[in-house]
Amino acid sequence: MKILIIEDEFALSNSIEEYLLGERHLCEAVYTYRDAVEKIHLYEYDCMIVDINLPDGSGFDLIKLIKQKSITSGIIIVSARNSLENRIEGLEKGADNYLTKPFSLAELNALLKSVNRRISFSGQNEIIVNEIRLLPDEYKIFIHDQELKFTKKEYELLMFFISNKNKVITKTSLADHLWGDYMDSTDSYGFIYTHIKNLRRKLINNGCTDYIQTVYGVGYKFEVVEDD
Amino acid sequence: MKLLTKNSLTLLSLTLFVFLFGIIAFYYLLRLEVDQSINREFEKRKSNIINQVVYDQTFKNITPFQNEKIRITEIKNISNHGPVFYDTLIFDQSDKKLEAFRQHGFVININHQNYYIQIFKSLEETDNLIIRIFLIMTFLVLAIIFTIILINRYSSGQIWKDFYDTVKKINNYNINSQEPFILNESDIKEFDDLNRVLIKMIDRIKLNYINLKEYAENASHEIQTPLSIINAKMELLLQSRDLKEKHLKSVLDAYEASNRLARVNKTLLLLAKIENRQFPESKLILPKEIFDYQLELLEDLIYSKNLEISTRYEQDVLINMNPYLAEVLLSNLIKNAIRHNIYGGKIIIELTKNYLLISNSGSELKSNPEDLFKRFYKSSSSKESLGLGLSIVQKICEVYDFKLNYSYQNELHSMRVEFTGNQS
Repeated sequence: MKILIIEDEFALSNSIEEYLLGERHLCEAVYTYRDAVEKIHLYEYDCMIVDINLPDGSGFDLIKLIKQKSITSGIIIVSARNSLENRIEGLEKGADNYLTKPFSLAELNALLKSVNRRISFSGQNEIIVNEIRLLPDEYKIFIHDQELKFTKKEYELLMFFISNKNKVITKTSLADHLWGDYMDSTDSYGFIYTHIKNLRRKLINNGCTDYIQTVYGVGYKFEVVEDD
Repeated sequence: MKLLTKNSLTLLSLTLFVFLFGIIAFYYLLRLEVDQSINREFEKRKSNIINQVVYDQTFKNITPFQNEKIRITEIKNISNHGPVFYDTLIFDQSDKKLEAFRQHGFVININHQNYYIQIFKSLEETDNLIIRIFLIMTFLVLAIIFTIILINRYSSGQIWKDFYDTVKKINNYNINSQEPFILNESDIKEFDDLNRVLIKMIDRIKLNYINLKEYAENASHEIQTPLSIINAKMELLLQSRDLKEKHLKSVLDAYEASNRLARVNKTLLLLAKIENRQFPESKLILPKEIFDYQLELLEDLIYSKNLEISTRYEQDVLINMNPYLAEVLLSNLIKNAIRHNIYGGKIIIELTKNYLLISNSGSELKSNPEDLFKRFYKSSSSKESLGLGLSIVQKICEVYDFKLNYSYQNELHSMRVEFTGNQS
């Protein structure tokens, strides 16, 4: 995936790039409105991460520009301001998603993947990781071609893991992903543990390899050996 | 009480008071005048009779007029019979009842014989006259008083018009609106002064408000950005395979602390925005919808704590408020009910047009219930919660004038929100 990161905060832009490069995406970063406009005009990108508050312009205008140039580019807005009006305006102008800072990189990554899927494979959409096959449009999971019954949260959990495979995912990231802002206490952590335990058991009971590993004290990792 | 009403009532009561004294004085003066008039008539009649008798040297031509009686008695001793006026009651033969008469007596000497003459005049007619005059006068004066009060009311209304206009404009003023605050010029100096002062004051308040708003937003922005850098860097560090376990633990602790900081910041910002009334847009929302969504979202948590949920929603309950704040309010109440619940406990949600009651089982609070709503107050069972959730609930209730009430009964904590004066 070719990704353009439009964020004026260098350290943050850097971090995003580092995380995404591990995923073997192609990343480019710009730090000003002007540079962003230039890049948008010259090149095509699969997805763009746009910060609303740029020093020399508004991210909303960039979104308009992007949509004018290519309707298929995915847009994820990133902003320190969590205002409802901003969110609505952004989505109305054509953004696909809105993330409030600070956000987890795993979450950003998962969003990028889902936006990309929506755009590039409308219809024939499949995610295959060895014996696991996910059909995101239909919310179906197949292990060794056997369909499995999952709850909504279990599905989302598995999808999140697969989107961020081989990355350490913190419990906070997981809780945020499953329940958004609603979990602001760590009494949800024992809870996450239960969910993951159930998910792992289900996978293993259906002949799946136990990809989900516990990283002690930190979180979890969906470990898959990648063939290059 | 309204201004004009008080004005009218004050004027009315004071004039009636004066009127009372006036009308009593009038009555006595009238009475006096009539009395004197009657007595003058008596004098005339007396002269008239004396002249007649002296001329005739006999009483035989003296005949009483209508409503008049004359009594003539011979007397020996004149010293007891000076000329007097004397009121008395006499039984009138023709009317067959007791009537009031005034009597005037005097002495005449005819043919060396003293006679005491008493003239009796009926006071009936004059008494009636007095009463009639008195009533007419009273009625007239009262009518005049009321007319004056009405006139006064109308003219006051005209005079105070500018004032009412100002009051209305202030009431309708929305500090969030972009329109400038304008008050009409008045030709009454005091109102004009008032308007000038108000405009200056409101402009100043608006400026303060805008500054505060911007400050709150900018502060949040300035804090969130470095926090997001910390977060991102920590998350990357946690990926490292080279760090020892204890280092990873340090990184994780820092990561979680920064997360908490971000959440606190976000919530404080929300509180500030609510306080500044930055959520003016209201819509009719269905609380039931929000509850359904929340209960589904948190169903895993509910299930894991084995909680029993019972709900009772009255039909078509709608609340007029900002949709975002509605969601925050209701979700905070539910989260609270789940978080402070015991394993196997229950949650009861009762929603009517007038109130919302949400109860959860749990052990009694060890501390003061009022502290519950203070910021950063946490009950011992949940060390990691922010302690801001209930402050937000309270603040939102404050904005919409909902009455918020906490009670503990039958091992159930209950939060009651009364939608006072809200229903459409």
